[in-house]
Amino acid sequence: MFVNLKLVWLVTLLFFSSFSTTMAADNRLVITGSSTVAPLALEIAKLFENNNPGIRIDVQTGGSSRGINDARMGLANIGMVSRALKPAESDLTPFTIAMDGIGMIVHKSNNIKTLSNAQIIAIYKGKITNWKQLGGSDLAISVVNKAEGRSTLELFLKHFSLKNSQIKAHVVIGDNQQGIKTVSGTPGAIGYVSIGTAEYEEKQGTPIRLLPLAGVSASVRDGVFPLSRPLNLVTKGKPSLLAKRFIGFAQSAEVHGLVKNQFFVPLKP
Amino acid sequence: MADQIFKAVILACTAFIGLVFLWILGEVVVKGISHLSFSFLFDAPVNSGRAGGIAPILVSTLMIIIVAVSVSVPLGLGVAVWLSEFTKQGQKFATSTRLTLDVLAGIPSIVYGLFGNAFFCIYLGLGFSILSGGLTLACMILPIFIRTCEMGLRTVNDSWRKGALALGMTRTAAIWHILLPSATPAIIAGLVLGIGRATAETAALIFTSGYVDRMPESFMDSGRALAVHIYDLSMNVTGGDHAAYATALTLIILIVFFNIMAQFMMDQWLGRKVLSS
Repeated sequence: MFVNLKLVWLVTLLFFSSFSTTMAADNRLVITGSSTVAPLALEIAKLFENNNPGIRIDVQTGGSSRGINDARMGLANIGMVSRALKPAESDLTPFTIAMDGIGMIVHKSNNIKTLSNAQIIAIYKGKITNWKQLGGSDLAISVVNKAEGRSTLELFLKHFSLKNSQIKAHVVIGDNQQGIKTVSGTPGAIGYVSIGTAEYEEKQGTPIRLLPLAGVSASVRDGVFPLSRPLNLVTKGKPSLLAKRFIGFAQSAEVHGLVKNQFFVPLKP
Repeated sequence: MADQIFKAVILACTAFIGLVFLWILGEVVVKGISHLSFSFLFDAPVNSGRAGGIAPILVSTLMIIIVAVSVSVPLGLGVAVWLSEFTKQGQKFATSTRLTLDVLAGIPSIVYGLFGNAFFCIYLGLGFSILSGGLTLACMILPIFIRTCEMGLRTVNDSWRKGALALGMTRTAAIWHILLPSATPAIIAGLVLGIGRATAETAALIFTSGYVDRMPESFMDSGRALAVHIYDLSMNVTGGDHAAYATALTLIILIVFFNIMAQFMMDQWLGRKVLSS
């Protein structure tokens, strides 16, 4: 029995060590970053792999900051970043593959029809704390904010010229779906999420409502939204031949169907 | 009177816990069963998992668990035997090992994920792979597994050890044929706890075994685990809720299956020893 167990263990070790053969790098791409872009990039990668047998593209997630970091350090061939690059990130080259709009959402039972920028700022700063103050019902406002490091947060702060430290948030969330779930479960809540996601959930009967921003009602179909962000692939220096081909493919009209499937807006041709 | 109140409170607590459990299970079953089918289990995901199935994800999960269990069981049993049989009361190294294990058992899984990413993926160069994920999980379940096994070995009556000694059994034989088999229930409990925790893990795996939902070809491939898939579908993929519930149902069935298997295998492996020698 002893010998057996030792044997099993030895075989297991050999089994694992036999896998340490490294793959040829010229047929393989690693893409990491934004969890918003990841599902789209994965679908594009699958189509690309189908069209080019022998090519392997591994998509990993972890957030835009990770995409920037990994592309810089060379841990990934391509990073995914769900916002425009900042001046401090000019060492990276962005390639936009789609657009995403951000919209304010409230619970469906909320009878507020529109909010001005000043009102949204006051709500997020904690100066207005009850919907009654805006002509709504007597209900405390639950401010839903995004977690630090999320691209949507940075975009929101920039658009309304706010600092994150000024925001009096009651709930801090991560992903879009989490935002929708939080607002649909809290009658007094207000939050901001990807417009495509919000439109889909509204149609599915989830109790949320998109608010027009500064009098403009946002919609993905028309490509109209005051608060929008580019979804980027980024590379450091000159991309490799394969990376360049993949980026070209991700920007082509061939993937517009995939972009729409993820509720984003394709680039105009 | 006080007795009756006490009894009522205890009953209420039990009913409450049972109800919560049934609620969770019911919700997953009701929302997941309509989407669950044979093709769901045997197809690859399509359109970010909204359509298609979970076959590659199921395979990746099983491979991750195979790595985690085959690393942690021998290592864990070894440490547990050392702690309970080879250390003296109050020995400093043993005490500090126990303390370290208890602290490690309470560390949030995301910390293991970051450690695994830094150590296995980058430092050891294993990259995003099923091997990295499995090893990270092994690190995560080892503390609980070791402590549970140690407790099991400790509860074996000392007269059994003396009896073995009196019969002239070597220490090794006593441990192998008497102590380990009689600690079987505790070892199973530790294994089941460990596997359960490993199968349900998201945070430790998203940065180690990764996000790729292709059918894995080797242990060096990146592979998405079931829990990571559920997380992505429910938090990141608009319109993925049905598939998320169906995947969650699959995960629950898998965990139940593992528990039964663990019980069965331990019975076979350790139970026979007492009889055959």
